[in-house]
Amino acid sequence: MPAASGLIHPAACGLLLTLLALGSSGCAPPQPGASLIVASKSRIDSLDPVQASRSGQMQVLSALGDPLYAIGADGTIEPRLASGPPLLSGDGLRARIPLRQGVQFHDGTAFDAAAMVFSLNRFMAIGTLGYQFSDRVKAVRASGPYELELELKAPFSPLSRLLSAIFLTPVSPTAYRSHADKPLNNRFVGTGPYRLSFFSGQQQRLNPFAGYWGPAPANGGIDLVTLSNSTALLGALRSGEVDVLLASGLEIDHQQALHRDAAAGRLREGSGPPLSIGFFSLLTDQPPLNNPGLRQALARSLDRATLSERVSLGMRPPLRQLIPPSLAGSDPEAWPAYDPAAARALYRQAGYCNGKVLSLPLTFRSDIPSDRLLALTWQAQVRRDLGDCLDLQVSGMESTTAYDQLGKGALTLFFYDWIGDYPDPENFLAPLLGCEKAEANRCAKGNSALSGSFWSAPGLDAELQRSSRIDGPERERLLRAIQRRTASAVPYLPVWLMAEQAWGGRRITPPQFDGSGRLRLDRLRRLPAAAATLAVSTGGPEARR
Amino acid sequence: MSRRSELLRYFGARLALAPLMLWLISSLVFLLLRVAPGDPIDALLGPKAPAAARAALRHQLGLDQPLPVQYGQFLGDLLHGNLGVSQASKEPVTTIIQASLPASLELGLVALLIAAVLGLAVGFSGIARPEGKVDLAGRLFGIGTYALPPFWAAMVVQLVFAVWLGWLPVGGRLPATVLPPEGSGFYLFDSLRAGNLQQLQGALRHLVLPASTLGLLLSGIFTNALRLNLRRALGSDYVEAARSRGLSETRVVLRHALPNALLPVLTITGITVASLIGGALLIEVTYSWPGIAARLQEAIAQRDYPLVQGIVVVVAALVVLVTVAVDLLVALLDPRVRF
Repeated sequence: MPAASGLIHPAACGLLLTLLALGSSGCAPPQPGASLIVASKSRIDSLDPVQASRSGQMQVLSALGDPLYAIGADGTIEPRLASGPPLLSGDGLRARIPLRQGVQFHDGTAFDAAAMVFSLNRFMAIGTLGYQFSDRVKAVRASGPYELELELKAPFSPLSRLLSAIFLTPVSPTAYRSHADKPLNNRFVGTGPYRLSFFSGQQQRLNPFAGYWGPAPANGGIDLVTLSNSTALLGALRSGEVDVLLASGLEIDHQQALHRDAAAGRLREGSGPPLSIGFFSLLTDQPPLNNPGLRQALARSLDRATLSERVSLGMRPPLRQLIPPSLAGSDPEAWPAYDPAAARALYRQAGYCNGKVLSLPLTFRSDIPSDRLLALTWQAQVRRDLGDCLDLQVSGMESTTAYDQLGKGALTLFFYDWIGDYPDPENFLAPLLGCEKAEANRCAKGNSALSGSFWSAPGLDAELQRSSRIDGPERERLLRAIQRRTASAVPYLPVWLMAEQAWGGRRITPPQFDGSGRLRLDRLRRLPAAAATLAVSTGGPEARR
Repeated sequence: MSRRSELLRYFGARLALAPLMLWLISSLVFLLLRVAPGDPIDALLGPKAPAAARAALRHQLGLDQPLPVQYGQFLGDLLHGNLGVSQASKEPVTTIIQASLPASLELGLVALLIAAVLGLAVGFSGIARPEGKVDLAGRLFGIGTYALPPFWAAMVVQLVFAVWLGWLPVGGRLPATVLPPEGSGFYLFDSLRAGNLQQLQGALRHLVLPASTLGLLLSGIFTNALRLNLRRALGSDYVEAARSRGLSETRVVLRHALPNALLPVLTITGITVASLIGGALLIEVTYSWPGIAARLQEAIAQRDYPLVQGIVVVVAALVVLVTVAVDLLVALLDPRVRF
């Protein structure tokens, strides 16, 4: 009997606990200043800046760390861990950056130039995106306790913008000493407004850092959760299970539904700067698109306004350039507008339309639902307007396979998107047009080939390099000239602009973004019930956003 | 040779074949991953990283080595119990598996319990009047639940109970505000052991929808299996003999027909457990359940070769062990089984 009663006792306790657990009611209503739950689709494998390459990782890092410079919502560059702008030498090959004093890492150690040197060298040595920095910077050293010196490989005018990239955020040399040459995935010890108190791939808990040098967060902490499908994300926000939802990974119709809810005052909506471009890549070194006339015709066959409205309810505005309009060198009408009559004339010149239809294979990423919708909508629009000249043969391919095939010249017409690692025009043009080895108008090796167009032009690469050395109006003129030159050859076909978006419940302040497109987690705040009702009923600025 | 010796010989032979089977499976996975289109470098760096950065990463990951060298390295590591390091996260593959396998097993076991109780109850309910209304409803239930598309069923259940009614959470294993219990990774067990009511409540509430959906979908197999085997058993000679001895119908069914009808059900249970070890992908994805199947899917999308290989090898090993164990159990329970 003693043995039996020993078994019964824990079993009975377990049963009692289970019944209590299932029967107990929910939690007390959350208070203003309490922690908030933010959901997204991005699973986070690592919070080490050297491992950062995905938007989800960058979003979390932006709350845990500080970059040297930050880009404000209005696009201006503000010093963060730097205390002033970079001071360049006469030849532009050396930059001295004064650093902020009195900054602490989350482990209580002091931030200084030596810590910055440790972090940047570590990033260059083992960073997944290390090339972004090491392609421009030859060496990093501390020229004083609070002064950093960068030796550049060539003059680089967007240096402050590069240094605003969150993957260059410093980490505590003390905490990372044993991980100097390998990633530390499940911890982060930086200088940001939050410190990491729990990490798993699906859940991260951020608590306000009491020793933060800047303004304290407006909330009591953030719980970030990952839900792996769009329906679950939408349902979690609508059922009040999460407070704020990030748009990345949400299917386009779910984004539309949330947009409508926000317009009706049921949710708060916030948008970041549109820094992502959706475009077609045209294979220019093989028939039929090696014919520039056909590429021009194709450019005039794309009704961007219809596609934007039908596919995204206008949430993704039409785009006729490669540089997002908020950046220098923007040229909103660089690519030709939709003109079916002009397109028909060009198809005729190329020998089509008179009983002969140009059949073009159009490939989209099958794992991105909006891509499929876009491809099918364009196919239908072309059938309606130019059905006797052009027939788009639409097919899907999984992203990773498609990227592999793209660089091998296997995709005639492929739709995908691009967002620069930091917001500067150089980060949009060089990855699409850069070419290491060009033969006349064909790029045999380089970014243009990897991007699937294989297009180049004499002197184009030199112009691109020059554009990253100069600044001001001269740079803007050159960037516009490069865009016009590219538009006349149509190796790419810009379609639309995309911005990061977030939605929150009515009792949350409207989501705000910084100039790099990251949600400002530190600005999110739960409103008292009365304030939330007032803001919505009066249609105040919070409700209108 | 005694039955016990036969049994041991059979069991030994099955276990001895396991390494050969694992070698074949792991080699096949190694080869298929390399033959399949797509490049891990594209998955890690995106399509526009410079050629030099791509080459450096390829070298760092050892992907620039000839295929036989990579295979030799993989087999050598495997023989030493080293499953390698994930290319995407740089975490040891064993750590990733340890974190995600308990989630799948917990979901699978609870779902199996629901499926067995529900399925057997429905299967048994129609036996009093074969071809009657209850029996017909049981047949329809069996066929219907078996035929339901898992993804669709999971989405509907999620929409109704989590989104519209708001009774239960939409996904995940715990509420965002509750940290996971430390221990084995089986949250129900860990939270019970720790006596943490909040964790237990959270874990249970999050388990209800995925486990019920999966259980419902699997229950049809048990219903049909029990129904058919019980009917066959009730028509057999030994049951007729029992009836002719004047035993009550309840006693005939419970003591004579049911035990024999449950033996094939045990085999089906083993196959179901084996299939659930690899996770229920569609359920895990729909309910954001961080299990092994969802992890495998991500690893395949990222072309994370070591992680895919590691998961497949571990799951295959567990499946082999479970099937051997079920065979052994059936052999022990059924003296008619010969080897």
